[in-house]
Amino acid sequence: MTVSGEAVHRLQQELTAAIDEADIQRGVALARDALSQGISPLDLIQDVIRPVMKDFGEAFARLDIFLPELMGASVVVKAMQSQVLEPAIRQSGGNSVNQGTVVIGTCQGDIHDIGKNMVSLMLQVNGFKVIDLGTNVSPQTFLDTARREEADIIALSSLLTPSLPYMKDLLKRLEGLGERDRYMVIAGGAALSEEYSKRAGFDGYSEDAITAVEICKNLMKQRKGAQA
Amino acid sequence: MRTYTRLLDVFDRAESGPMIEESQWDMNLVPKTVARLLAEYDIKMKPVNETVVLQDDALADRLFAAGLQMAQELGVYCSSTSRRIIFSRDEILNALEVAPVEVTLGDGNDRHTERKRKVEDSLFPTIKGGGVGTPLPEDLYLPITQSYVQEPLIDAVINCTLESVYGREIRSRSPWEILAGWHEVELSKAAAKRAGRPGIPLGVIENAVSELGELSATSYGGASLNDWHHIAMISEFKTDYMAMAKLAHLIRTGAIIHSFYNTIYGGSCGGGDGMALAIVGGCILLQMVYMTNTHSVSPAHPFYGNNTTPEIMQAIGLAQQALARNTRLLTDVVLTPVSGPGTKTLLYETAAESITATVSGACGLIGPRSGAGVNNGHVSGLEARFNAEVARAASGMSRKDGDVLVRKLIALYKPILEQRPKGLPFNEVYDVTTIKPLPEWLQMYEQVKNELREMGLPLH
Repeated sequence: MTVSGEAVHRLQQELTAAIDEADIQRGVALARDALSQGISPLDLIQDVIRPVMKDFGEAFARLDIFLPELMGASVVVKAMQSQVLEPAIRQSGGNSVNQGTVVIGTCQGDIHDIGKNMVSLMLQVNGFKVIDLGTNVSPQTFLDTARREEADIIALSSLLTPSLPYMKDLLKRLEGLGERDRYMVIAGGAALSEEYSKRAGFDGYSEDAITAVEICKNLMKQRKGAQA
Repeated sequence: MRTYTRLLDVFDRAESGPMIEESQWDMNLVPKTVARLLAEYDIKMKPVNETVVLQDDALADRLFAAGLQMAQELGVYCSSTSRRIIFSRDEILNALEVAPVEVTLGDGNDRHTERKRKVEDSLFPTIKGGGVGTPLPEDLYLPITQSYVQEPLIDAVINCTLESVYGREIRSRSPWEILAGWHEVELSKAAAKRAGRPGIPLGVIENAVSELGELSATSYGGASLNDWHHIAMISEFKTDYMAMAKLAHLIRTGAIIHSFYNTIYGGSCGGGDGMALAIVGGCILLQMVYMTNTHSVSPAHPFYGNNTTPEIMQAIGLAQQALARNTRLLTDVVLTPVSGPGTKTLLYETAAESITATVSGACGLIGPRSGAGVNNGHVSGLEARFNAEVARAASGMSRKDGDVLVRKLIALYKPILEQRPKGLPFNEVYDVTTIKPLPEWLQMYEQVKNELREMGLPLH
């Protein structure tokens, strides 16, 4: 069923209101109603959820809203996905709506996590499955988790210069074990520069949560293009 | 020491307090508590286009009450044990009652006493000049540090970090961190001697990301106990065994403790109102957990890393007023402009934040951490001299007059914040042999001082 522009607009407004009021049940009910009206889960995600979350992401980029509001939006949308949309997609034999799987963490030797949390959340509201390993994460833990979760991207954060060697250790480990092509590795945080990142051999570098999402989207496009 | 019994309480409670997952702490408990207390205590600052340096004592006092309540309700999260270290209201009030109102830093003739200041106090704030952890090339560490020590208006130095040690990459919590900690002390002490101020208090150990650097370099032949030794509380309100190992060592050796907490604008505590609350609650919790002599705050912008945006400066100013009016705590502000040396905007940003902090009752001004501390070697002593001169001129000034100046300065640099003007490295703004500012940088500094005089700041 094709969703009319008017219906899309109405659903977007309803979802925005549910998020503004942090009303999880209203979001879940909206998803159920939409499906019962014949709107497909993928259309709902593509035409309603992603544009609304994009608006929230952009509002955060302008600092019109802050992390708690972004977290609230993420909670509502996650509930819609897990309680209504994913079961419906599975029932119809469709593919997951996951944009890609990202293993993220603050590198060994560093315990700062607010910036990493922002990236993690922005990726989630943009449809990525994110496994957040927290802080002071060793290269081997990144690798073990990426293998277990069949990750596409490993995202490394660091605020402190002395934790940079541990970032490079992960690249060396992947190369040494012949798994460098299996994962795309991106890095970010105040300790790094784009120049350092390129020299070290990372697949992407981001200064903030907003560009991190764009980089992950581009990398996933490249990966899907290469697989096609 | 009178706080020693609390040290054992802190360690005990880190192992017996209520357990909570870190993600729940970050994403649920902290933001919800902050939002609720902001509403309960009616904390709402004016729009920054109206006032940056607020002059509302009732609001400052409500902010303090809310911060006290927050400290009591939340406590500090220990990520090593996943437990909350909690204190009763009486324990907090008792600790605030006995907190020191002055501390003497440094050794011999170079000692300096930092004292409690009030809002609009005419007492000069303590000036702690330096790049605050900015990484420096190893060969320039000594001359750059000397460029700060040699400034007579600077009372203490805050060290930078080393980019490498003996040409090797520094790796945290490894033997390299120990060598880096020692090398930092050797080089900064050598700079102090060269400048004729061997006992000047140094902010150390900046290379101690973990406990290893601090425990090794604060020992025989290393940093003095009268230097000011740093311990961090990670955003938001978190500690761990690495920080507490530093704490145990510093308390048992009798060293001066300086702790800091840098909340993030737009993060778990939200915008300016939440940030102001976090600063007040954070400083109280620093005192509770680390038994600190001096405290500092350097909130950060999530995209630029600086704290000179009007919203952040407004929060810093109000929080300082709340703490100055209601506690004995010695609270400092770290100046973190986005611009680097060789730019006029660095001086405008520095002046705006220096005035905001000084008239709001900050006891010490630290920095400036030029270029938000991320551009290797992009710091110099001249901006610290400038900060000292502005702070002296602003001491005794009313908040109302300070606000007029601050808003004029913001208008000069706000349009360029997004560009993050990196400026020039030390060796392009100073002669590295004579350790004197080069004419272009000196001329720019004089020009901006004249502009400030024309705006009404009584600079000498």
